[in-house]
Amino acid sequence: MEKYFLLIFLILFGAWYLTYSATRLDRLHHRVETSWANLDSLLQKRAAVALEIAKSKIADPASALILTAAARGARDARMQNRSQAESGLSGALGLLLNDGHLVDGLIEKELLQELSELTNKIRVAIALHVDAVSRTQMVRTKKVNRIFRLAGRAPLPVVYEFEADVL
Amino acid sequence: MLSKLRIGLVCPYGWDTPGGVQNHVRDLAEYLIAKGHYVSVLTPVIDESAIPDYVVSAGKPIAIPYNGAVARILFGPIAFARVRNWISEGNFDLLHLHEPAIPSISLLACWAAEGPMIGTFHAAAGRQKVIFALGPILEPVIEKLSARIAVSEAARETLAEHLETDAVVVPNGIYADRYRDGEKLKKWSGNTIGFIGRFEEPRKGLAILLEALPIIARFAPDVRVLVAGPGDSKEFSEAIDPQLRHRFEFLGRISEKEKADFLSSIAVYVAPNTGGESFGIILAEALAGGATVVASDIPAFDSLLGHGEFGALFESENPQELAKVVIDLLRNPKRRTDLSIRGKAYAQRFNWDVVAEDIFSIYEMSLVGNSGVRLSSENRAWNRFLGRDTN
Repeated sequence: MEKYFLLIFLILFGAWYLTYSATRLDRLHHRVETSWANLDSLLQKRAAVALEIAKSKIADPASALILTAAARGARDARMQNRSQAESGLSGALGLLLNDGHLVDGLIEKELLQELSELTNKIRVAIALHVDAVSRTQMVRTKKVNRIFRLAGRAPLPVVYEFEADVL
Repeated sequence: MLSKLRIGLVCPYGWDTPGGVQNHVRDLAEYLIAKGHYVSVLTPVIDESAIPDYVVSAGKPIAIPYNGAVARILFGPIAFARVRNWISEGNFDLLHLHEPAIPSISLLACWAAEGPMIGTFHAAAGRQKVIFALGPILEPVIEKLSARIAVSEAARETLAEHLETDAVVVPNGIYADRYRDGEKLKKWSGNTIGFIGRFEEPRKGLAILLEALPIIARFAPDVRVLVAGPGDSKEFSEAIDPQLRHRFEFLGRISEKEKADFLSSIAVYVAPNTGGESFGIILAEALAGGATVVASDIPAFDSLLGHGEFGALFESENPQELAKVVIDLLRNPKRRTDLSIRGKAYAQRFNWDVVAEDIFSIYEMSLVGNSGVRLSSENRAWNRFLGRDTN
């Protein structure tokens, strides 16, 4: 009799543990999705600001051309090319803004201020996303999650290359 | 700024006991309220008749020794029920939990809730075996947080080491402008060493300064020590060596204005704390007031002073080295001015305007794609499996 109780207990515990693990994984995937959505929207904003800068007096015609191309590239890039496109935009912005020429004019200053605020936010957003991804990867390698395939068909989240060196 | 939010803050330590975390939560809550947000603070409270109306009591705190100090925290089934109740009735857009790795109501809230949650980690400590043992219990709870904030590099390292997770550094806030325009008063200037804090507490380290004083007096015969802060000065000064007693002056509790004058008058500010400090808000204030700071090299102070760039450090609990550093500074006014000018400029980054905006931008990031805080359900995976909407 006692054996049966023990067996039932073990089954119940096992079921609870599986549900618990699946919930944990689901939450983590959700975190990855939202942190990516956040990062993605900030990057889109950055591309928009870069386009504004290209149109403004900050950029000379040649830099404007490069910047516009890079910003459009970043905005329209598909997932496979995203890394390259975002790094390209970072590079173009860096070239234009780090050559030390002075900027005057109210609109121009505002644009640069907006860009630097965005850059700070992007840095934080990247940290949040990278943390979510690495945590998810770590939990997904746990035995119980692999054996019972608790992650289902959710793709294993990855960190994109540009996240290491954006700006 | 985004539209007005409903924000729930959780403070794990007793509201009416003095402490850095409590001050931080209070200032943050008041800043957010002034910006027009709805804020509710859940915290343990000893005396429920004397709390502001944005504070909700979770019960009386229990004083237990934790991590080498007595912590006033709260847990247990009744507290848990109150936490759940507060979450379900609060209808919050996001929760901001302070010290969620401490066994108190922040941890309970993190366990009970689901949705946008931010955790701020204050503690900075060396390697601790006990936390490694707790890791497997804490990790699944802590990983529910959508963003982690550490108040210093030291706190961030502590977190990375113990719980293998990264955090964004946002320092604690001060009202830097209150200390900016202190007057240099004659009665407090000269070869004076300043100290602010509850001097009776051993971990504040006044005893270290006491031991260093005879050596300092040999090189600077007119040196005086000015101690500001609450405590029984009569009893304390009776315990001081009679030869040194006349060098001490106890000012008792001082006002903010006096504090500003004090900080601009003294020659050096000394913080000989031996540990248990999470951030070192008083050092940030001292820097903002234009004082030249000498502090022990405990992790929190080391990182706050930029490893010695904005104030001089000495090996913790080493009176000889403290004496050496202080004498060096007393003899060298130029170095003192250099340090204090650099420190004052640096302290502006701790101003509440800057700090609160940083915190708020992390709030905004956590709100993306989430639809408010609710009680967590362990059925989440089942609902997902059955196609029910859980977002």
